[in-house]
Amino acid sequence: MPKLVIDNRDIEVPAGTKVIEAAERLGILIPRFCYHPALGSVGACRVCAVKFLEGPVKGVQMSCMIDARDGMVVSTTDEEAVDFRRHVIEWLMLHHPHDCPVCDEGGHCLLQDMTVSGGHGLRRYPGKKRTHTDQDLGPLIQHEMNRCIQCYRCSRFYQEYCGYRDLGVMQSGNRVYFGRQEDGTLESPYAGNITDICPTGVFTDKPSRFKGRRWDYERTPSICLNCSLGCHTVVSARYREVIRQEARFSAAVNGDFICDRGRYGFFYASIAERPRQAAIDGKTVTREKALEVALERLESIVRQSGTAAVACAGSLRSSLDTLAAIDRLSRQNGWHDPCFWMDRCVATRVKTAASRLEADTAVSLRQVELADVILVVGADPINEAPMLTMAMRQAWRRGARVVVIDPRPVFLPIDFYHLPAAPEEMARGLGMLIKRVIEREEVEQLGREALSFYDSIPKMPLPVKDRLEAVVGIIKGSHRPVVVCGTEVVPDGVPALAADFSLLLKTKNRSPGLFYVFPGANAFGATLLPGGQADFEDILTAVENKTVRALVLVECDPLCTFADRPRMEKALASLDMLVVMDYLGTETMKRADIFLPTTTVYESGGLFVNQEGRLQSAPRAFKGGLSIKVAGDGRHPPRVYGSGMPGVEPVPARQQLAAMVAGQGPVEGDAAWREWLVDYLRLSDFLPPGDDFPEDGVRVLAAVATTERFGLDWAATLDDDRAGDERLRLVIVERTFGTEELSGYSPCLDTIVPSPVLFMHGEDAERLGRVDGEPVVLTTETGSVTVTLRVVDNMRAGMLILPRHLRLDWQLLGSGPIWIAADQIQKAEHT
Amino acid sequence: MLPEEIREELRRQIIAVEHPRELAVDVMFALQAHYGYLSDVALEEAASLLGMTPLEVEELATFYTFIYREPVGKYVIHLCDSLICWMDGYESLRDYMCRKLAVKLGGTTADGLFTLLPVCCIGYCDRSPAMLINRKVYGNLTAEKIDEILEELKNEA
Repeated sequence: MPKLVIDNRDIEVPAGTKVIEAAERLGILIPRFCYHPALGSVGACRVCAVKFLEGPVKGVQMSCMIDARDGMVVSTTDEEAVDFRRHVIEWLMLHHPHDCPVCDEGGHCLLQDMTVSGGHGLRRYPGKKRTHTDQDLGPLIQHEMNRCIQCYRCSRFYQEYCGYRDLGVMQSGNRVYFGRQEDGTLESPYAGNITDICPTGVFTDKPSRFKGRRWDYERTPSICLNCSLGCHTVVSARYREVIRQEARFSAAVNGDFICDRGRYGFFYASIAERPRQAAIDGKTVTREKALEVALERLESIVRQSGTAAVACAGSLRSSLDTLAAIDRLSRQNGWHDPCFWMDRCVATRVKTAASRLEADTAVSLRQVELADVILVVGADPINEAPMLTMAMRQAWRRGARVVVIDPRPVFLPIDFYHLPAAPEEMARGLGMLIKRVIEREEVEQLGREALSFYDSIPKMPLPVKDRLEAVVGIIKGSHRPVVVCGTEVVPDGVPALAADFSLLLKTKNRSPGLFYVFPGANAFGATLLPGGQADFEDILTAVENKTVRALVLVECDPLCTFADRPRMEKALASLDMLVVMDYLGTETMKRADIFLPTTTVYESGGLFVNQEGRLQSAPRAFKGGLSIKVAGDGRHPPRVYGSGMPGVEPVPARQQLAAMVAGQGPVEGDAAWREWLVDYLRLSDFLPPGDDFPEDGVRVLAAVATTERFGLDWAATLDDDRAGDERLRLVIVERTFGTEELSGYSPCLDTIVPSPVLFMHGEDAERLGRVDGEPVVLTTETGSVTVTLRVVDNMRAGMLILPRHLRLDWQLLGSGPIWIAADQIQKAEHT
Repeated sequence: MLPEEIREELRRQIIAVEHPRELAVDVMFALQAHYGYLSDVALEEAASLLGMTPLEVEELATFYTFIYREPVGKYVIHLCDSLICWMDGYESLRDYMCRKLAVKLGGTTADGLFTLLPVCCIGYCDRSPAMLINRKVYGNLTAEKIDEILEELKNEA
């Protein structure tokens, strides 16, 4: 490890560290524009000049371009270097407008900082400044090209880091222009990051434009809830409103960036439509009154039909605190087993997957970047967990090969090998891969269970066999393979099979990794609860046969998220009482007999467990209350004097739930609650002593019982072979934008969201006489939807892929495996 | 619309190379030769032939001096705008040329014959000041010589 001296201080850094990074480790921030740790060095802006006094390099050099080496003596304060940097700043400022007062970057602008610290204060250039025409880049990003200092961060991030090709650099010399070929919304779902990395105000956050300066905001670290990855964010709140969300660096989860679904997915917290008042039968009452009446009615139902006549359900967007409070309430009061899952199969898969993550094979999102082979089974990264795509791309840029086994028309901004396999072919494919990649002799060293599992893999017919053959060699030659496995479209046995595969890959000195993708921010958290074995199917059945008479739904919208709306509507209408607690103005909430408003993660904080089993804490970002914008209807807030704050009726769901626990008093206070929670979920072994929650969270993986490994029942996994069936199998899936619940409340994403589509394979379209782009009516036994048909060739033939668009009544199509015959897809008469 | 034979020829060339991008400049030149300049339509055509996005083609098209994204005259004059020519009277020649053609730098004469553009060093420093007109180089320029050259071209046109 090279040892060097920077500004008279010694430092030892790993070989390959640039001098600019070595200095940063000493707390010396050398000026920089083009250099960014995630993008690497290009030496374009010349502002990181330092003087090398001794050692292998001499004189003024760019510190981002030179590796730290033994014997270097570096000065950042040398007169020559300081003078050099001052001149660089001066010429970078040559054309820069003096519009800081009206620039949204002002206050957190790197150019401002560098100009001040570089010592450039007086303008000497009397000539005309070059100016540019700005472009409309869509609803999320504001363009102001005159402020550009040509650092190239945006185009390098956009094209090299992300792999998107519609923003770049045009022209040359003084006319260099960063933008699109013509006006239009940026195509990349990671585009929002350029507002974070632009060192000046060329790209700024559009929805929060002119809302405040950085110092005006309450800035709090937070966790993104818009998918299961749990990326780190910074929340900026002002005037009782979440204004902006930015990426926060995490060495374990997301690195430097986040996706736009996460960045712009917070608006539900402050929109005017958010329900903040408790209500009984639609009439506004105080929270206390609503709770009192709820308890009274519940008591009478319990008296009449027993405690099991009440059921409580939550959802995967709730914090662990809320989920545990639901669990506790249901158990203490002797209610029906609580439910956190909309879909029984997904629940089974997630529970299996969570139980199969082992400390030495579970990899973090960042570790995916280090893989040399990535095998994706039944996951669609860009739609289900957008930042996973970025991690995969970084691995691919380092030379990794990527194989995707999934029926959907998967798009990734990388070269990858796509095997569009039907769900039932996934297990076969994995079985065949295991047999072909790993020799029997190698398995012997892994124990008797592994060997008998290996021997039990049946010989199976597989339509995509030839194409799978090409993958065998790729995986055989790997050193750090990562198996990525989804839980939405795979058969129930596949998550366990993926785990078994990752274990078997340990042969030949490989260090395999396992990475699951779950539905919902807290899916893993829900598996940690002692109760909650039920799913909505169970609850519905109990409602239908009248054993459950009252439902308490906590931050849960089954009318939107359950796959059979007609059945759900009927069941809800037949209840004696429906209590809804939520911070969203959902369809379900509108049917509630009693509504109790709850707080969002921004107002109450909470614990969340991401798909890797990483327990993370999101602190409270602000006190809550009705935003001043809404309170004043866009004008000055009402001049009513009082000590109270409007819109503070919502309380954390766990508090509301604690008040409903019969007998035992509620757990009061945040500290006592946290202590109770840690104890209830047996998390104390995982948490380090002290009050500070670790920055990158802690992994809460239970030890995996040896009996769980290699226990797959092949016969049960393979029994749904439908070869020869002419009908098309309908699969309902997620998309980056337009299907996720929370981001569905963000007005700025409205125009980004593509219109609802149904994907069909070209062969099927030809056979059925359907053409791309035509509106079709899809009918099942329970209902029908009208949707635009997209004919593609990169999906599994014999299937239909329908994104569960929030603007589409996909819930009318019913639940369970749906098979569509030719006469069930008809051209729509008119759209 | 691009004639099918040109399109076919370009396709043939593109298939023959490992990375279609390699031929980006050749394709742009071929389309420019056909259309007279690289129009927006031509840019889209180049992009679709090369499997690139319009932006990626635009990045290259606007970087290179000899790709014209706007209509140009029959003769494109690239007047050398570099160090050695500056020493040998570039500025007065430029002003002379602008007056004579009644255009600004970058402009095209009303009759559509001449477009005047500055260019960074054409490597003719030993005979500076110099210029290129439709790929033909002229050195040791004087006002008289320019008059002669332009007159000749006008007669040819």
